[in-house]
Amino acid sequence: MELFIVLGLLATAYAMVSAKRVSTLIGNFRLQALFLCILTLIEATKGNHPGLYSVSILIFAIKVIIIPLILFRISEEIKVNENLGFFIPPLLSLIIALILTYFSWVLAGMVFTGQETMLKIFGTVSFSMMFLGFFIMIFRMKALAQVIGLLAMENGIFLLASASSGGMPFLVEIAVFFDVFIGVIILGLFVYRINQLFTSIDVSKLNRLKG
Amino acid sequence: MQLLIILLLLIPLILALLSFLSKEIKPLALLTSLGYFLNLILSLNLAYQYLVNNTPITLLNNSIYADALSVFFILTISIVVFATALYSQSYIAHDLDQKTITDKKANLFYVLFNLFVLSMLLVTLVNNLGLMWVAIEMTTLVSTFLVGFYNTKNSVEAAWKYIIICSVGITLALLGTILFSYALLFATNTKSLNWTDMLSVASKLDPNLVKIAFIFIMVGYGTKAGLAPMHTWLPDAHSQAVSPISALLSGVLLKTSIYAILRYTMIANKCLAPSYTSNIFILFGLLSLAISAGFILIQKDIKRLLAYHSIEHVGIIIFGFGIGGPLGIFGALFHMFNHAVTKSLLFFGAGNITNTYKTHNMHNMRGVIRALPFTGIMVLMGTFALAGLPPFSIFFSEMMILISAFTQGYYLYSILFLLFVTIIFGAIIHHFSKILFGEKPKNIPVTKDPLPVQLAFVFLFIFMLVMGFFILEPINTLIVSATAILRGI
Repeated sequence: MELFIVLGLLATAYAMVSAKRVSTLIGNFRLQALFLCILTLIEATKGNHPGLYSVSILIFAIKVIIIPLILFRISEEIKVNENLGFFIPPLLSLIIALILTYFSWVLAGMVFTGQETMLKIFGTVSFSMMFLGFFIMIFRMKALAQVIGLLAMENGIFLLASASSGGMPFLVEIAVFFDVFIGVIILGLFVYRINQLFTSIDVSKLNRLKG
Repeated sequence: MQLLIILLLLIPLILALLSFLSKEIKPLALLTSLGYFLNLILSLNLAYQYLVNNTPITLLNNSIYADALSVFFILTISIVVFATALYSQSYIAHDLDQKTITDKKANLFYVLFNLFVLSMLLVTLVNNLGLMWVAIEMTTLVSTFLVGFYNTKNSVEAAWKYIIICSVGITLALLGTILFSYALLFATNTKSLNWTDMLSVASKLDPNLVKIAFIFIMVGYGTKAGLAPMHTWLPDAHSQAVSPISALLSGVLLKTSIYAILRYTMIANKCLAPSYTSNIFILFGLLSLAISAGFILIQKDIKRLLAYHSIEHVGIIIFGFGIGGPLGIFGALFHMFNHAVTKSLLFFGAGNITNTYKTHNMHNMRGVIRALPFTGIMVLMGTFALAGLPPFSIFFSEMMILISAFTQGYYLYSILFLLFVTIIFGAIIHHFSKILFGEKPKNIPVTKDPLPVQLAFVFLFIFMLVMGFFILEPINTLIVSATAILRGI
C-alpha cells in the first residue's frame, strides 16, 4: 500500500513536470499533497508516532484545500494566460526528470547505506520530488510555477523527514507548516504586485536589475 | 539571567504590537529608539553576567540555549539595531515629508522592522535546529516586504528574487537539518533536533551521512549568508531595500546565517576531520572574494557597490573560519563585528546620499563632502575602514586572518586572498574618492544631518575606530570564549 502511494507521489511529480497549463500544475500539486496526507495517515495508524494524526489533518487542510484554493483564485483573478511558458519543452523535461530520478537513487543509496530497500525507495522519491520541484522553478516562466515548485520541494522534504525519522518533532512540524503557509500568502501578494507593475507574471520580464 | 533573555525578546515584540496600534509616527519612532537602547543595555548586562558565570544559559526545558557565541551575536545585533532605529527615525520622517510613503506605510515599516529584529534574535537563542530553521525563514518572510517596500518595478523584482532564491536555499538547509536528525536517530536511536543533544554524541554519527548533510547546510544557509555563487539575490535586495533595512540586512542578517552554519560546523568537526569543513569554507570564501572583486570594479550603483562589499566581507569571514586556529577564528569573529558596524554606517551614508542626489548612480554624484558635510566625512572614514586601512578595526581583523593563514602554511590561499583584497581596496578608494570630493552640483543644497542621524553615525564610528586600538570589553572576552567553543575546547 505504501509503495503504491509513494509511486503515486513520484507520478504526480512527473505530471507536474510535463504539465502545460497553470491549472493542471496546481491540480497535480493538490493530488501530490493528497497522497502525502494519506501516507501520513497510514503511518499514524501504525501507532508509533501519535502526533502524526494531527499532522495529516494539517496537510489536508493547508496543502490539499487552502493553498490550491489560494493559487486557483490568484490565477483566476489576474486572468493569467494559462500557458506555463517553457524554457525547456515538456518531452525533454520528462527525459531530464528521468535522469534526475536516477541521481536521486544514487544519492539515496549514499544516504541510506545498508538500509532496507523500502527506505531507499522513499529516499529516491523524496529527492526526486525536490529536484523536480527545483526544475519547475527554474525552467517555467510563470511566477506561479515558482511558487508551486517551491511547495513541491517542501513536499519532498516532508516525505524524507517522515520516512527517515518518523517526522520532525511535533512543535517543529507545526512551525514549518506555519512558515510555509505564510510564505505562500506573501508569494501570492507579490504575484499580484508583479502582475500590476509588469502586466504579466512571466519571470523572464524580471530582468531590470543586473551587474 | 533568564529574565534578561525574556526581556530581550519581549521588547521587539511589544514594539511591534505598539507599531501596529499606534497612529502617530513621531513618538513611535522615538519609542523604538529608546526600546532598542534598553535592549542594548540588557544585552550588555547579559554579556557581563554570562562572563561572570561562564556557563550556558538555558531556559524552558533547554529549548533556549545561549553560550558565548550566542551572546556575542546578540550583542552585535543589539548594537547595529540601536543605531538603525536612530537612523530610521529621520529616514522615515524624510520619506513622509517627501510623500514617498503614507502614514500607514510608515507604521508597517515599524511593525516589520521589529518583527525582523525579533526573528534575528530568535535565531541566536533557540537550541532546536528545526526552530532555528523556522526563525531564519521568518527573517526572509518579514524582510521581503521591507525589500519591496517602495513597490516600484525594481524593488518588487528584487523582493521576488530575494524570497524565491532564499526560500530555495533554506529548503536545502531544511533537508540538511533532517539528514542530521536522521544521523542522530541512526547512531543513537534517539529522536531530537536539539543542538546540544547532537553535539554530545557527534563523534558517534555516521561520517558519510554528516558529510552529505553538511553540504546541504552549507549551500542552504550559505545562500542566505550571501556566499558566492549563491549570492545573486543579495545585490538586488540590498540595493532596493529601504536604507536602514539595507544596513540590517548586510550588517546582521547575513551573520545570523553564518551563525547557523557555525553551529553545524561544530557538530561536523567532532565527527569528521576538521579539514573537511575548513576546505569547504576556504573554497566558498575565496570564490566570494573573487566574484565580488570583479563586480566591485565595474559597479555604478552606490548601494549595489556596498552590497558586493558585503559578499566580499562574508567571504573574508568564512575564509577566516576555514583557516581556523585560535587566531583565525578570533579574527573571523572580530571581523564579523567590525563589518557589522562599518557596513551599517556606510549604508546610512549611502541612504543620505541617495536621498539628496535622488539617484543611485555614482556617475551623477559629485562633491558629497560639500553637500552633506557630516555624512560626507563619516562616509570617507567608513570607506577607509571598509577598504582595510589602519587604524580602523577591519584592518586588524583582516590581518589576524592573514597572519593565521601564513603561519599555518596556507601560502597559495594567502596570496590569493591578498590579491583580491588589494583589487577591492583600489576599487573602493577609486569609487568613493570620485563621489566624495570635488564641487557639488549647483542644484543640490547643503544639508545638515538631523541629530538622530548624527548620533547613529557617531555611535558606530566609535566602535569602528576604538576597536582598532583595543578590543572593548565585554566583546573581547566574549570572542575569546566563543573561539574556544568553536574550537571544541
